Amino acid sequence: MTAILTEGLTKNFGDLCAVEGLDLSVDKEIFGLLGPNGSGKTTTVLMLTTLLAQTKGSASICGHDTRLDPEKVRDCISYVPQDMAVDTNLTGRENMLIFAWLYGIPNPKDKVDELLAVMELSDRADDLAKTYSGGMRRRLELAEALVHEPEVIFLDEPTIGLDVAARRNIWTHIRKMTRKGMTIFMTTHYMDEADQYCDRVGIISRGKIAALGTPSTLKAHLMKDVITVTIEGDYAPVQLDGSMFVGQSDDSISFTVENGREALPLLADALKQSGNRVKAMSLREPSLDDVFLQSVGKQEEPKGFEEFKFHMMLHRRH
Amino acid sequence: MKGVTTYIYRDFIRWIRYRVGVISSLVLPAAWLLFVGLALPVTFTGNYLDFITPGILVMTILTAGISSGSLLMFDKILGFLNKFLAMPVPRESILVSKILFISIRGLIQATIILLIAVLIGATLLNPLQYGLIYLILFLFGVFISAFSTTIALYLNDHDSFAAFTAMVTMPLFFTSSALMPYSSMPTWLSAIAHVNPLSFAIDAIRDVGAGSIPVVSIVLLLVFTTIVAVLAGYVFRKATV
Ligand SMILES: Nc1ncnc2c1ncn2[C@@H]1O[C@H](COP(=O)(O)OP(=O)(O)OP(=O)(O)O)[C@@H](O)[C@H]1O
Ligand SMILES: [Mg+2]
Repeated sequence: MTAILTEGLTKNFGDLCAVEGLDLSVDKEIFGLLGPNGSGKTTTVLMLTTLLAQTKGSASICGHDTRLDPEKVRDCISYVPQDMAVDTNLTGRENMLIFAWLYGIPNPKDKVDELLAVMELSDRADDLAKTYSGGMRRRLELAEALVHEPEVIFLDEPTIGLDVAARRNIWTHIRKMTRKGMTIFMTTHYMDEADQYCDRVGIISRGKIAALGTPSTLKAHLMKDVITVTIEGDYAPVQLDGSMFVGQSDDSISFTVENGREALPLLADALKQSGNRVKAMSLREPSLDDVFLQSVGKQEEPKGFEEFKFHMMLHRRH
Repeated sequence: MKGVTTYIYRDFIRWIRYRVGVISSLVLPAAWLLFVGLALPVTFTGNYLDFITPGILVMTILTAGISSGSLLMFDKILGFLNKFLAMPVPRESILVSKILFISIRGLIQATIILLIAVLIGATLLNPLQYGLIYLILFLFGVFISAFSTTIALYLNDHDSFAAFTAMVTMPLFFTSSALMPYSSMPTWLSAIAHVNPLSFAIDAIRDVGAGSIPVVSIVLLLVFTTIVAVLAGYVFRKATV
């Protein structure tokens, strides 16, 4: 049975359409939902975890409908919210025990010991959680989420605000979970993480899925090479056959091209001709960042242009 | 049931770890009792301490209970509520545990007051009387905390809620029969005091002290408490679709 299945899942807040017609099927994998702030990631997670009622469409977790059978859904999921919610005046062990009791598992003490060890928290288990670092609190939350051995775990931005080492540590633990056949549904802002650890990613923009697939397929959908140009002053658009504008972040602009080496001088000329002052140019392979930038676009971009971009994306997916 | 006791355990530990809160919640009513019961040179009745103790008891339950809606509100703001709501534990047990915890905490404070009252000269009652007093205080505690939680869920904003509790507590206390008998009040005050829910609980406790069993009051209190609790359940369910 598919772990997560949604059909036309939609949520409106008044006039605002936070999530629109989401069709997803996720099973026994790490699925990453990527998107900029306010794109509807948390709203999606809340609907899937029975915490928010959708406006339209349906979702089922392990075969149970989230609206018709919410108790059964809650039996097979765990949810770790975006804001870290750990009782700081309780010890790590006490925090865990509360979850073990709430889930009514047979040997709460042993299970808690076991999970604290898995998450490398054993030696600090009896300290108050307020003395824990951000990474330790996150691991404590992961340990809580694992107490009843759920089939699906929802993690809303599990690594936000953590340093590189702590992020890698959290990821090692998340990878371990999937090896036991769990399904992980997570949201993140960090492209490099999604690229490295997610089996599949969905890029969500303004409530709609703009791209969906494994990180490598998504990257392969882009043309072969990416040229990044750093310019001084405003960017004046250029047209060059065989190259395509991907997006702009700050003063660097990305293009995809069929053949990087040949396109490099041509593009430099074209840029100069349209009056851009080029400071630097570099050539590299596409990253998930480029996919993201292309799917999501820049918020300040003129409307018509973005619509064009969006259709380009759709074309490639079919 | 397991859910309710676990949630209560969590709130209880958090309460006792927060020492300033514990001390202030115990010291404040004791100070009231000492100040009003001993220091104020009033002679409405023979033993003013016996007269004032029920008022202080009910006030303690009121102040402990009225701000308690923020307990659920903070769980919501800090993200705990969503975590608990996504668990297979019956959702209502979150609400029930909050109301019970606040009421039980109020009874612990009431016990301290009763002890001090006896130490400084209030009449010692028999066990049945104390049992009845606890019953009345418990019902009143559930009444107040369910009410407070309903308002908190409804207002859904901590600042407005704090303003609401500040606005409600003191007027409610001063217009009740806590400080003086109806006969000593001006008529307008007496009229208000008669419909004040606080007086209702205070008078019932005084009746117990005087040796009678206020069956009607207890039954009515039970009815009102049930109504408010059902209302709280309704608002809770609406707030947690
Ligand atoms: N309860 C609500 N009432 C009204 N609008 C809401 C509500 N919750 C979310 N929104 C709106 O829905 C949109 C999607 O919000 P959501 O929290 O799902 O974004 P997100 O992708 O999780 O963003 P972030 O990366 O900042 O966490 C936003 O525009 C937000 O303002
Ligand atoms: Mg979010």
